[in-house]
Amino acid sequence: MTTVSPNQASAEAGGIDASARCPLGLLTAFALLWLVAGGVLAMLNLLQLQSPGLLADCSWFTYGRLQALQETILMYGWAVNAGLAAATWLLVRLSGENLRGANYLMAGTVFWNLAIVLGLTGIATGYATSHPLLQMPGYVQPVMLFAYAVMAVPGILAWTGRRKAQTYATQWYAVAALVLLPWFFSVAQVMLTFLPVRGTLQAVVATWYAQNFFSLWLAPIALAAVYYLLPKITGRVLHNYDFAIYGFWALLVFGPWMGGRQLIGGPVPAWIATVAIASSVLVLFHHFIVVVNVRDIFRLTGSTALFFVTVGIAAYLLGGLVDAVFATRALAMVTQFTYFQQAQQQLALGAFSMIIFGTIYYMGPRLAGAAWPSIALIRAHFLAVLIGFVLLVVSLGMAGWVQGRDLNNAAVTFATMSAHTRPWLQLAAAAHGVALIGNLLLTVHFFRLFFTRPAPVAFGQSAALEGSAS
Amino acid sequence: MKNGFIFFFGLFFVLALSWAGLVLGTNAQLGDLAPFYDDMEGKAFPERAPGIASRGQLVYQELGCAACHTQQVRRPDFGSDKARGWGERQSVARDYVHQKFPQLGQMRIGPDLADFGTRAARNGVSESALLADLYNGKNGMPGYRFLFEQRKLTGESSAKALSGGARAGYQLVPTPKAEALVAYLLSLKQTYEFAEARPYEPVAEAKGAH
Amino acid sequence: MSTPSPVDPRQEKSAIADENLCAVHDQPNAGKSGAAGHYHLLPLALLFVFSGLIFYAGSYLNRYSGHFSGRVFDERQLPVSGAAVAAKMDPLVLGKKQYALACVTCHMPNGLGLPGVYPPLAGSEWVLGSEERLVNIVLHGLKGPITVKGNVYGTAAMPAFGQVPGSGYNWNDEKIAAVLTYIRHEWGNAGAPIATEKVTELRTKAGSRKEWSEAELLALP
Repeated sequence: MTTVSPNQASAEAGGIDASARCPLGLLTAFALLWLVAGGVLAMLNLLQLQSPGLLADCSWFTYGRLQALQETILMYGWAVNAGLAAATWLLVRLSGENLRGANYLMAGTVFWNLAIVLGLTGIATGYATSHPLLQMPGYVQPVMLFAYAVMAVPGILAWTGRRKAQTYATQWYAVAALVLLPWFFSVAQVMLTFLPVRGTLQAVVATWYAQNFFSLWLAPIALAAVYYLLPKITGRVLHNYDFAIYGFWALLVFGPWMGGRQLIGGPVPAWIATVAIASSVLVLFHHFIVVVNVRDIFRLTGSTALFFVTVGIAAYLLGGLVDAVFATRALAMVTQFTYFQQAQQQLALGAFSMIIFGTIYYMGPRLAGAAWPSIALIRAHFLAVLIGFVLLVVSLGMAGWVQGRDLNNAAVTFATMSAHTRPWLQLAAAAHGVALIGNLLLTVHFFRLFFTRPAPVAFGQSAALEGSAS
Repeated sequence: MKNGFIFFFGLFFVLALSWAGLVLGTNAQLGDLAPFYDDMEGKAFPERAPGIASRGQLVYQELGCAACHTQQVRRPDFGSDKARGWGERQSVARDYVHQKFPQLGQMRIGPDLADFGTRAARNGVSESALLADLYNGKNGMPGYRFLFEQRKLTGESSAKALSGGARAGYQLVPTPKAEALVAYLLSLKQTYEFAEARPYEPVAEAKGAH
Repeated sequence: MSTPSPVDPRQEKSAIADENLCAVHDQPNAGKSGAAGHYHLLPLALLFVFSGLIFYAGSYLNRYSGHFSGRVFDERQLPVSGAAVAAKMDPLVLGKKQYALACVTCHMPNGLGLPGVYPPLAGSEWVLGSEERLVNIVLHGLKGPITVKGNVYGTAAMPAFGQVPGSGYNWNDEKIAAVLTYIRHEWGNAGAPIATEKVTELRTKAGSRKEWSEAELLALP
């Protein structure tokens, strides 16, 4: 093990960031482009619900196909690209060594995004699998798995080759996400696409996969960023950090069992839903520990990156609670098969996105070696995504509740039901529009950061570490 | 957490646990589920659908119909599935043993289709009426016009041709995809009373009644 | 606690080096508040929270697991064996179905048979008389001349229907009982229903044999 020279500690990792500049810049750029594209399609998709004739004659964009397209873009285009960028950067930073295997990451990124384009074409032209979150046709799935394996190499190298043996919560969460995704991704591919299991077992595998995507990819990466950014920006030690490890394992142990919530009352043995409901309650232990650890984040410090993270972590905690409460059978009877489930999904994805936005604002200038060009753009983005996100989740949730109540009343026809949900869905489409404007601003801003280079800045840092004497 | 090996092992173990429990566990229970041979009726249930129906299922799958329609009836006292006439009983795993890609769905923007064939037969909905609905759209469902084609009229018009909607000298005929889709929908039946699909009878009440 | 200096969102500050970040958190009791000797409530609180969640989840699992059976689709149900709950069909409905399946070709829908060829069932003394004779005819079949309602049917040959050697139909005892109950109830007939157990008993008693003749039947009670 090499010894730490005092210079390296105070240089704020300039060399490390420089080594990560190209691969992570590329990854983030792809992620942002997909985010904008996904936003456009998601908004169109919601508009189709209000005027069914929209794009109906265009076979590429039936409601079902468009939904598969936007979901795939947001999950694999935005969330995986951005999550990998964040996780890799965090791991490289904490390893104290330069990023190794940059070429792997660049090549993998190109293949991954090419595969997504192919997959989207497949969905649009009639090869969708109709498994939620795994809509892409079988012929791109192995390519994606291979590309992902290559992309994850630098992150894993940064973990195994870290300078010190000691580890930090951010590293556990990031490594867990990097390692586990290919595992459940490949298992789901085999069991659903290549050697499909029989009958309704497919639904069990599909919900297991979808839940893992949320519990073992989105959540850990977002938490990795939170555990890093909070002490990093405030300079304060996390409260009761000793317990973070229990929170980590609680998420990993209970999270994957929660998928069966989607199958309450469905044609699978009842214990699958029962276990899922019990697990979504048990996983609250994880949320409780996260609150204890990061509670300082709610004492806003004025850092814009932390504003994003604060909103994100609040949404994450709320999401955990909503999942647990609405998993109970009495409430699921209303919210099952409605927009409410989309609201829950958007809440989880939105929590991830907000935290990753915060990470991008922190990481961006360090990667580019320059400060963000405009404060106004940052604030406008924050405002737009905050309004869009809250409005979207609330309106979809209300639409779902109304729809669920109507569905359970046999006297209400589908025409009446769609009239009841219409105002909420219009609001949701507007919310997508507002968020889309914000994300467009971020994308433009990001490209300006990288391609119009202002004078490089030095990232000084206060040497003294504040204790958390609260 | 300094021991990398134990950390990796732990990661794989927790995922393997859920996989073994949920996926393998269910596979052990449902993997060899067979149709139920009813001695009285002299045949096995669920009955096999015609081959065109399984092609129709692929059309249903790739068009993304599952984004709006479920195919799983919940039990009579859970929601309004029975009251809406979607099925007399809860759907159970055995209903799907002959289906290559069951389309359970997760969203009800339109009605449930698990027992659609029975419903269509009861209401006298014919294949041509369904094709017309598919072309024109109905109750907020958009029409799927790209599943039909204008074919030049030579001699007599096809038996499947839709009335109206065709240009002069042409007839409007469904593509094989549309025909397969409609055949699939008409084949969806969940009528047989499997033992495991019986409604729940509370034990306490049964005792009180006697 | 010092108030943070004005933050420039264009380049967030870094308040701690990465290495320090790891180091301070890696110490035991990192981030614990309070002076020495302070009684820490948090571990206790966590224990309570976790126990509470486990208790709720455990009770829920116990109540609604359906014994983790693959045959329970309603969480309130407990597993039952399939045979025990197999539905009993109304014998008249089943009998009518069975009659329509096979018997009808000779004995006709009206139960009158074909004069001179196939004997009638409506008002027949064989149908309404001894249960044992009737059951045995259907189980094993009948050969040779037989007198029904005063008319002799010489060529009539009835195949075996029961689960007996040489039977082409292999109807189980329930179906035999059902079809006999049906013909004893239809067309103005008013015989008592035949129980499945009776059929089973007679089938075991007769063992393996050929079709009956009128004389053999008349020897039965």
